[in-house]
Amino acid sequence: MKRRNLTISAFITAICTLMIALGVFMAPSKANADTKTYQIGTDVTFPPFEFANNDNKYVGIDMDLLRAIAKNQDFKVNIKPLGFNGSVQATQSGQIDGMISGMNITPERKGTFDFSKPYYSSGVVMAVAPNSKIKSLNNLKGKTVAVKTGTAGADYANSIQKKYGFKVSTFDDSNNMYQDVMTGNSVACFEDNPVMMYAIKQGTKLKIVTKPANNGYYGFAVKKGQNKELLHKFNVGLDNLKKNGEYQKIVDKYLKANPNAGSSYADNHSFFGILKQNKSFLWNGFVQTLWLTIVSIFFATIFGMIFGLMGVLPSKFLQGVSTTVIYIFRGLPLMVLALFIYTGIPSLTGTKIPAFIAGVATLMFNEGAYIAAFVKGGIQSVDKGQMEAARSLGLPFGKSMRKIILPQGIKIIIPSFVNQFIITLKDTSILSVIGILELTQTGKIIIARNLEGFKVWTAIAIMYLLIITLLTWLSNWGKRRTKI
Amino acid sequence: MSKIKVSNLYKQYGDNHVLKGVDLEIQDNEVVVIIGPSGSGKSTLLRTLNRLEEPTSGSVVVHGEDIAKKDVNIDKVREQIGMVFQHFNLFNNLSVSDNIMLAPMELKNVSKEDASKLAKKLLKIVGLENKFDAPIQSLSGGQKQRVAIARALAMHPDIMLFDEPTSALDPEMVGDVLSVMKQLAKDGMTMVVVTHEMGFAKEVADRVLFVDKGKVLEEGTPDEIFNHPKDLRLQEFLSKVLDA
Ligand SMILES: Nc1ncnc2c1ncn2[C@@H]1O[C@H](COP(=O)(O)OP(=O)(O)OP(=O)(O)O)[C@@H](O)[C@H]1O
Ligand SMILES: [Mg+2]
Repeated sequence: MKRRNLTISAFITAICTLMIALGVFMAPSKANADTKTYQIGTDVTFPPFEFANNDNKYVGIDMDLLRAIAKNQDFKVNIKPLGFNGSVQATQSGQIDGMISGMNITPERKGTFDFSKPYYSSGVVMAVAPNSKIKSLNNLKGKTVAVKTGTAGADYANSIQKKYGFKVSTFDDSNNMYQDVMTGNSVACFEDNPVMMYAIKQGTKLKIVTKPANNGYYGFAVKKGQNKELLHKFNVGLDNLKKNGEYQKIVDKYLKANPNAGSSYADNHSFFGILKQNKSFLWNGFVQTLWLTIVSIFFATIFGMIFGLMGVLPSKFLQGVSTTVIYIFRGLPLMVLALFIYTGIPSLTGTKIPAFIAGVATLMFNEGAYIAAFVKGGIQSVDKGQMEAARSLGLPFGKSMRKIILPQGIKIIIPSFVNQFIITLKDTSILSVIGILELTQTGKIIIARNLEGFKVWTAIAIMYLLIITLLTWLSNWGKRRTKI
Repeated sequence: MSKIKVSNLYKQYGDNHVLKGVDLEIQDNEVVVIIGPSGSGKSTLLRTLNRLEEPTSGSVVVHGEDIAKKDVNIDKVREQIGMVFQHFNLFNNLSVSDNIMLAPMELKNVSKEDASKLAKKLLKIVGLENKFDAPIQSLSGGQKQRVAIARALAMHPDIMLFDEPTSALDPEMVGDVLSVMKQLAKDGMTMVVVTHEMGFAKEVADRVLFVDKGKVLEEGTPDEIFNHPKDLRLQEFLSKVLDA
């Protein structure tokens, strides 16, 4: 009985700790009193509308426009690099106030979003490799084309897919889509005209072969029925900028004039050049990944210990709880769990969860379930006779556990722990879906700008290996210290 | 005065009725040996005496207290009943001396110094005084079983239960363990021993119980059981084990 109380109170302590951490992380994101700060989601790998420049500041037509409007209308924006789909979900769940992400105004989207007045008109073009024989849609029969999820290009491709008899391969960001065409996996891609033009000017080796089709309009979006004030400010600001000529200046800056103006893009394509140029950005991603890993491991270990031990207590009920928790959280794909916590729960309860906390919670549940499973298994693998001998001497259950069973169980478990730590580190990369700027997301953003996939991923891979080495070294040191 | 009194004891695992109405009384200083074919329920019976197995029904009165009842403090009762297992079950994470010292220090607030003295004394009794600091893994089977006896004795029990203490041993080790047990019997320990060592039963037992199919079919002095068996199944059993 005493033992049970102990376990439950340990669990409550862990939850409280998490809550406190939540409070600490939420505090700085609170709006300040005089000028309201809005949280705006965007893609940041979608030049020329949004991308990170050489200083890793988010720029592009959307970004410059939004900032100019904010200035004009006296509010502040906090840009959240959630990706297009992440932004859609975060807006719908109320995690963020709105999104600007080269988003086409469609009747379907109008069902769940309120849009600003259109701020840009765009059409879909088809681009192919320079030496490609594909000249028109008629050449696509039996071939595969690449599209990016949720874009007008994707809608367009899907709408004509039957007619022209091609297959569609879907990507999450533009660079991977271009890459697929350049390597020949797909014969063509469908992309918004300005996006394609900008990418080609930046050195993407593709050419446009069709006229813009399916002309559509980009709009700034908020959740339907919410943030009316923000939408109004955006519309008024947009009108003002159009009148005073600032709007045209912004568009021209990215599409007409030399888009590289002010960037030292060309001279930084060596491996070390890229490293040097993105030093602080990569470092931040590195720190974020390391921090995510360590905090998550800490909570996952507590979570796993509690539910693992619960599984070996002499109570059918607690064993059932342990089995169920392990079953659920081990069964859910990490990405589903992350999106569920980050966008699913807030849309139910209406409270925002910071991405970092959602990420830690995701890893705590998932990795914790694995830890619980091997803690339970490890303890159960200790010979039954050990417990019987201890109990036969008169030692109570708890004492027998602590003095005899756990020391032997932990010895069995240790290698699994080290293994799980390394898996946790690698799994942090999945948290890029909820916009955490960890190493993987950092890599995607840098590549969106410089299109140097191989070199950047090499650098990122090395950094992951570095952290793994660090972790392994740390756990070996820990093992030696505790003499287990 | 009887130390243990078992009445109408039943035990079943699912549909498997293992004990079917056992009555049994064990007196102070008595050495009782339980014999019987494999699977007859000997271990189960022995293990209900300190509630390592919970009886399905019936009573097990130890020192005047019915330990079959849920509300007894079983840990306190177990402190006075030592148990020795077929496979020793020494604590693998502890040294020889720590195996012996753990329970007195944890349960009786014995100081480390006194516990250490006690361990030395007990190791001398079982003939292993030079193994004080040895890790468990370095011992032979016979040595392990003698440490296990010392560990049980460290709580100063007044009843000792043995479940086939020599079955897992190489033949040349059996004698060492049996002689320790004989010495214990001579010193007046109340003992319940499940064994296939008929020689030990004849020499040391005050009373022998023959258990088959969950019942005590015959009981008596070694002479009665081994020289004048009445029950047919006992006769059959004896002819098998004594021939072998
Ligand atoms: N924990 C258990 N769960 C289910 N059945 C059990 C359990 N323990 C023992 N049994 C069954 O109870 C019966 C009696 O077992 P027990 O170990 O008491 O026999 P035994 O007389 O000690 O035999 P042996 O001489 O082989 O040790 C056997 O049929 C065994 O399968
Ligand atoms: Mg047995």
